[in-house]
Amino acid sequence: MLRKGLGRALALAYANEAVRGLALVARGKEPMQKLKSEIDKIAPATNVVIIQADLGLITDVERVAAITLEACGGRLDILVNNASTLGPAPMPYLLDYPADDFQQVLNVNLIAPFLLIQNLLAAMIDHGGSIINVTSDAGRVGYPGWGAYGISKFGLEGLSQTWAAELAETPVRVNWVDPGNMNTTMHRDAEPNEDPTAWADPAAVTDIFVFLASAAGQAMHGQRLEAQSNWRNAITKG
Amino acid sequence: MLLPPGLPSIKNIRQRAKPTLVDRIVPFHLPSELNADRPPERRGLARDRVRLLVLDRNTGKVTHTRFDRITELLSPGDLLVFNSSRTLPATLTGRLRHSTSIAEVRLAELLPDGTWLALLLVQPAAPRGKDPLTKGLRLDFGQELSCEVLEQDQRIPRLWKLRFSKSGTEFLDSVYRIGQPVRYRYLSAPWRLGYYQNVYALHPGAAEMPSAGRAFTWRLLLQLRNRGVESASITLHAGLSSYLDNQTDRQHLASEEEYWISEEAAGKIRRAKDSGRRIVAIGTTVVRALESIAAESGGAVRACHQYTQLRITADYRLQIVNGLLTGLHEPEASHLDLLAAFVAPGMIYRAYNEAIKQRYLWHEFGDLNLIW
Repeated sequence: MLRKGLGRALALAYANEAVRGLALVARGKEPMQKLKSEIDKIAPATNVVIIQADLGLITDVERVAAITLEACGGRLDILVNNASTLGPAPMPYLLDYPADDFQQVLNVNLIAPFLLIQNLLAAMIDHGGSIINVTSDAGRVGYPGWGAYGISKFGLEGLSQTWAAELAETPVRVNWVDPGNMNTTMHRDAEPNEDPTAWADPAAVTDIFVFLASAAGQAMHGQRLEAQSNWRNAITKG
Repeated sequence: MLLPPGLPSIKNIRQRAKPTLVDRIVPFHLPSELNADRPPERRGLARDRVRLLVLDRNTGKVTHTRFDRITELLSPGDLLVFNSSRTLPATLTGRLRHSTSIAEVRLAELLPDGTWLALLLVQPAAPRGKDPLTKGLRLDFGQELSCEVLEQDQRIPRLWKLRFSKSGTEFLDSVYRIGQPVRYRYLSAPWRLGYYQNVYALHPGAAEMPSAGRAFTWRLLLQLRNRGVESASITLHAGLSSYLDNQTDRQHLASEEEYWISEEAAGKIRRAKDSGRRIVAIGTTVVRALESIAAESGGAVRACHQYTQLRITADYRLQIVNGLLTGLHEPEASHLDLLAAFVAPGMIYRAYNEAIKQRYLWHEFGDLNLIW
């Protein structure tokens, strides 16, 4: 997803904010190395760590947590759970969905965010931090054909709500963001018959992620936000 | 178990061991069914509902409770000091280059020059007097990780100094790809690394889990915080608790361990001490770190990053720590030497016998003991 996806756009957006360090996680190493070189140019002071991992594997989640904790010296400000897999494309109906693929989608999209939050919480709980889970419209409405992906996002929204409730008395904030339709490889795979030029460039939806990580966003907790809606107005009114 | 077959079992070794100093003070026999062979969660118990034996340092009185009721024992203002070291999958299996022998490497300690001290076990075992380990040997682990055997440690001859082909993040990445947690023979299954982490663990580097804090859950930690019980964290990368050799283990050699105390933690500890509040160490590693820095700086705790070889025994006068939460360990463990700095050996003897009578479970997944 890093070549064209939201992950890449988010890494660049945070680098533009001159964050002290960034840990990038993806299955492919090469796109991350390219992205790291790009970030080294625009934000030479940002320390970028790249971690090749399959978040569907519990042992890889452990490794990601350990390397991240080591790299950030035990203090983390932002965790974005963006990695997700669509599963088989074109997406089969649930009626036809292979069980192993269903399991794999849940592992990456739901179990991994649960474990990453659990393993990284110690690095946020004293000084505060911002956890942002990336959800989807398919996590609110059970569209036919959105199979395990949509169901995993339903799960992620529930996970986010429960984390938010359990962490309410701590300085850690949990919010979840629906980025809306974006022109990414994943979305084109999901809806091959639609016109992708009508969808947003991932770089255009990163503002809300920067906001939630900023001092100004500290009052936000336990909210579902839509990146392509008029969220700034909603926040002001709220 | 993932251990290569044929390795000596600790239990057998220890049964053959001659009595040590503490054996003479605290003689007891631990029935094998009291080894906690699985985490509490895997024996139908919540993580924080293990048993807690409370030993009063002044009177020797023993009371029994459940660990999560520690909230009723602690008072606002008490300071709990945790060790935030995170457990590494410190057991790596490699192959001796140009040989069919397999070597199990147990990482013990990262040295300032970037090399590691590690326990090396070679299979098949060589005949006596023909140690296959020599300077210059190379081991390959896969994942493009290899190491050169540099030299035998002078203090603890079971340990060898190794230089790995990777360092920093790359080394950590490989270790997590190929390593397994250090496990002992009494376990019923090769529990995965996640079972060996404290919920609050941060900095990867411990060869074995600092297990005294294992029973803390976030729910309990948040409850304690709400009650005004304070907390601070230091980091001490615990080394190996056994060198799988009776002679070495029996000497209770204090391994050298690296530790850090932040300015924030040092400040909290100083303020608690100055105002006469109770300071409870969560684990013997914390006692070692705090008493080491106090011994060096005239009784004051200050921010630092250094190594300690401090050995705390019965005649050691504790300067900082008032209380200790700890697991129950085998009679030969050097751990008991340290407990004797808190209470008279006779009290430990009575408390441990009481624990055995009450069927407490031993080791990293077992029950706990609060001494204060």
